[in-house]
Amino acid sequence: MSLTLALRVAPQVPMEAEALTFDRVADLSESDIAALPLLHGNEKAAVGDFFKVSGRANGEVHLEGDLGRVKYLGAGMSRGRLVIHGNAGMHLGSAMIGGEILVKGNAGDWVGPEMLGGRIIITGNAGHMVGSAHRGGTIGMRGGEIIIHGNAGNETGNGMRNGLIAIGGNSGDFTGVNMRAGTIMALGGLGWRSGAGMVRGSIVSMQPAELLPTFSYDCDYRPVYLRLYLLYLRELGMAVEDAWIEGEYRRYSGDSVELNRGEILLLNRQKLS
Amino acid sequence: MAENIRTVEHATCTFCGCVCDDMNLTVDLDKHCITKAENACVLGKAWFAEHTIENRPAATIDGREVGVDEAVEEAARILVNARFPIIYGLSDTTCEAQREALAIGDLIHGTIDTTTSVCHGPSGIAFQGVGESTMTLGEVKNRADLVIFWGGNPGEAHPRLFSRYAVTTKGMYIPNGKKDRYIVSVDVRRTQSTPVANLFIQVKPGADFELLWALRALVRGRRLDPSVEERTGVKLDTMKQLVERMKTCRYGVLFFGMGLTMTRGRHFNSGALLALATDLNEFTHFVAKPVRGHGNVTGADNVVSWTTGYPFGVNLSRGYPRFNPGEFTTVDTLSRGDADAALIIASDPAANFPKAAIEHLHRIPVIALDPKATETGKLARVAFCTATYGINVGGTVYRMDDVPITLRPAFESPYPSDQEVLTAIKNRVRELLNKKAKPKEARKAA
Ligand code: SF4
Repeated sequence: MSLTLALRVAPQVPMEAEALTFDRVADLSESDIAALPLLHGNEKAAVGDFFKVSGRANGEVHLEGDLGRVKYLGAGMSRGRLVIHGNAGMHLGSAMIGGEILVKGNAGDWVGPEMLGGRIIITGNAGHMVGSAHRGGTIGMRGGEIIIHGNAGNETGNGMRNGLIAIGGNSGDFTGVNMRAGTIMALGGLGWRSGAGMVRGSIVSMQPAELLPTFSYDCDYRPVYLRLYLLYLRELGMAVEDAWIEGEYRRYSGDSVELNRGEILLLNRQKLS
Repeated sequence: MAENIRTVEHATCTFCGCVCDDMNLTVDLDKHCITKAENACVLGKAWFAEHTIENRPAATIDGREVGVDEAVEEAARILVNARFPIIYGLSDTTCEAQREALAIGDLIHGTIDTTTSVCHGPSGIAFQGVGESTMTLGEVKNRADLVIFWGGNPGEAHPRLFSRYAVTTKGMYIPNGKKDRYIVSVDVRRTQSTPVANLFIQVKPGADFELLWALRALVRGRRLDPSVEERTGVKLDTMKQLVERMKTCRYGVLFFGMGLTMTRGRHFNSGALLALATDLNEFTHFVAKPVRGHGNVTGADNVVSWTTGYPFGVNLSRGYPRFNPGEFTTVDTLSRGDADAALIIASDPAANFPKAAIEHLHRIPVIALDPKATETGKLARVAFCTATYGINVGGTVYRMDDVPITLRPAFESPYPSDQEVLTAIKNRVRELLNKKAKPKEARKAA
């Protein structure tokens, strides 16, 4: 039996729960886990005040209930697997180092901000600032993977330095803004002004997009690495069409206001067989 | 002069961010009103004329008239028992009152936000991310030979900005006033400010970022796709001419308004403009400044910044400040239903916030301080009628260029000032917190 924390008292105000990460709870008894600290608004509380704890971690920790108001789940996690059966609040997997977080629901803003490694999978939608830098920071996620099956909000991958963000649906405005490197794949559409201020890195979409005038067309080609990425996403359960794997992509380079070494690849839909 | 008439020289108008401090007021002390406001613009005249002593209770609880002390007690009780209390408003009161509000926020580990978050909050984010090449309005008056207004209509909203500082006024190195300046207006439509401009650039709605980005590319000599004309509605030649003028002026200014900060792109729009000013400093002296609305919104930014390190949207739940617009800004904390109590000072969110936020205000205990009867005051559990800053109350306010200015009040009010009410609440909050040795038990008992 794996360790399960089931929400029994819904938080009245936002809750901050860095304690709910695999590393912190994996080796503890039920009573020790129940005594771990939480912050309920401005008031100190304990895990046991809100969660029923049962079982022992066997490589996985399960959180049950609507945790849409619970922030910092899996923050700084370095190993193991955290499965959230329901929605997750803001700052999910903040500065995460390793392991995997699976959310069977939606996630709030700031999924995996300044993440260093590991993998976050969201079966539903995510809010703004996925894999981004915190406000005032310049470097977003530096490694790892964020896989979102639904849509993501604005500023996905703001300041991203490395790693992969894949979005099955649409990504909002300013996707990959100020991006340093790494890959963002928005299989649905891109919002306005994608790649603004990007230095390097790749932004990929299967839909047409209006690009900033500081991006310029280079060529149509079939990037080999994209096939590998798409096959990998298909393995992870994302709906990837054969035509995307075989298809040709229009390459635009930018942002010329910066180094002009970034690329946006848009599936050339006219050449789809 | 009759005995009941008083004149106040060098008084300050706190209606808009210009904070003009050259008002000569004639005050009828019997009628408790200002009969003449020399030097004031049409907005300032209306501001001074509308303030008299209203016949309202100084304090109410659930609409029932009570003494100020009883209301202070109830307000303190609400704040101490809240788990996610928010403090909001602050831009139409003195810095002294703002400091007291911050002190309360610190004591109750609350979330502090100002009206900046719904006007130039995006600029606040951009300042942190991009930086700001800044100045005082005195420098603009004496040195600026190129003045660009972007996404604002100061002609109507800040009428004396043109005549005191930025367009017609003569300065030390601008001896001929308007003749020595080149004025550019960038907006989505013609406004009352347009006629002062030597060049009006009409940008398509929602394309400010693209235009600013294109100007940045031109300033830096980078590649630019010709589609920019179609996207922005501005000819490439016009952009090139403007860039040439910007690079060759002696002292350039970019004033920007909410047409930039509150349209799609928000802080990136402000950030693009600030970055353009920074780019231009490779060639000449160029500065950028948001044109601020409320009389002391700049003071609110300053007080919150010097107290917490951040200008707005600051959370103190953990006992130390954290800044995160979107998470801790008031529209968001209300719309998501996060806040469980609200202290609103000199602002009326119940009249102008989104529906979800207003609905939540109806669900939680609200404490409101305002000289006027407001929608927020109507729904508040505890409402205080306070004296008006600048008219009845002295203190300090900040002009939009971060210059502090002292207020010279015109006549006395029977109502307490915001500062007095907030100090009383703060003192009572402190006493209650000291009594709360075991906070959880005390709350359960309450
Ligand atoms: S410009 Fe603003 S501060 Fe000056 S008098 Fe007019 S309203 Fe008052």
